[in-house]
Amino acid sequence: MNRKRFANWTLGASLVAVLPLTLMPLPEAIADARPYWAALVLIYWNLEAGRLRYLGQAFIGGLVLDLLTGSLLGQHALSLVIISYLTERFRYRIRFFPPWQQAAVVMLLLFNDRIVQLWTIGLVGDQWPAWQWWMAPVVGMLLWPWLFLLLDALRQRERRRGP
Amino acid sequence: MTPGGGSWPATIDGEAAARIARLMFYGLLSIVLMTLDYRGGYVDSLRGLAWRALEPVVLAVEAPFGLGQRLGEEMRARHELMDRIAGLERHLRETQAEVALLEELRDDNRELRALLEASQRVAPRFETAELMNIDLNPWSHRVLINRGRRDGLTAGQPVMDSHGVMGQVDEVAFSTAQVILISDPDHALPVRVQRTGLRTVAYGSGRINQLRLTDLPMNVDLQPGDVLVTSGLGGAFPPGLPVAEVESLSRPVGEAFARAEVQPLARLDRARHVLVVDSPEPDSSPASSDAADSGNAEENSDEAGDEPNGSVEEPAAEATP
Repeated sequence: MNRKRFANWTLGASLVAVLPLTLMPLPEAIADARPYWAALVLIYWNLEAGRLRYLGQAFIGGLVLDLLTGSLLGQHALSLVIISYLTERFRYRIRFFPPWQQAAVVMLLLFNDRIVQLWTIGLVGDQWPAWQWWMAPVVGMLLWPWLFLLLDALRQRERRRGP
Repeated sequence: MTPGGGSWPATIDGEAAARIARLMFYGLLSIVLMTLDYRGGYVDSLRGLAWRALEPVVLAVEAPFGLGQRLGEEMRARHELMDRIAGLERHLRETQAEVALLEELRDDNRELRALLEASQRVAPRFETAELMNIDLNPWSHRVLINRGRRDGLTAGQPVMDSHGVMGQVDEVAFSTAQVILISDPDHALPVRVQRTGLRTVAYGSGRINQLRLTDLPMNVDLQPGDVLVTSGLGGAFPPGLPVAEVESLSRPVGEAFARAEVQPLARLDRARHVLVVDSPEPDSSPASSDAADSGNAEENSDEAGDEPNGSVEEPAAEATP
């Protein structure tokens, strides 16, 4: 019950932070390897705090992302819904993994998502992605522990300062 | 990635089933959305509305990067800027000289057209715009520009850079607009081969640096290096804007049509400054004699007055020499 009240501020801030991170311009060479921030944040909140567990939330978040990035309406929605489902499905296992193993699972989830998105790209008939695009899950894996520590620390602080 | 084993306790099997059902539901929903968006754009109005609502987010994200760029420009050394100005001034002089020559040709052309009593070609007007510091999905073949309804943009206006046609304005929000590039697989552009006058259609290929001509006759006279320009058919683009250069031509055995791959002249992936062409609707009204008296009435209305104004200016200029 009480838990719901915690980490609201952190949750909001992390969701807002996803937008500039997703849209900000990157040098052309590494733009394709941009980590899938939305998925990373979604996975974190599902695993560690039990928030954003509903597929509907992932779906709506994905639609917003689609509109902002100008992609086919539903591409990110589908990908986030699948990530959300898989995270929830294996939640109780992943939670008790040591951090490096958790990072590996995150990479697998992101890699799986690349395949889902590739399917969409293929159907639309767009250009096959460059090899950097496949590096995004690896970048996501390397970022995961830091994101984890950062959000955990923010959450702890908020909880201590809380009611 | 299929679920490997039962990590769920057996007691909540029902919940698991419900979750799978929900996954199916949302999965199907997004697939339906994607299909509707891809085929025929049934959700265009919805997309437009939502895009307008989300515009502030884009502006907020863009602001710090735009500021950073401006700061960077301000910090640039003075002598560097002076060099640049000198270079640009030289370029301007050269271009002005060229324009002066073209002016003469234009007068000739006008006289000839008047002799032929053909329709006047409306001189297109441009609005400059800058690409925003926002990275969209690399597969969307869309870019954002910093002009919108505020600046009088409407959907369907041609967009070009200094080398050739880039695309068309798609969604217009208050101060930004989305431009769909000619390389988008959904985009088709009526073109003419400059050397031979052959008319055809250039389709986007999904690759940023390639377009396709897919319905050429087998005996087509086309060589690598031929330049394609807009034909003006369809009315969206004024005729004669450079579009692309032919790269290769293939005549696949057993197919009805030859195909060619062409390379856009516009730098679709690198341009920063673009021009939005005030679409003149070339074939709509031949400049007629009654344009002179309707001209004053049209001058006041700024919205609808665009193309009548454009065609009015020419006969008036014609009368003076």
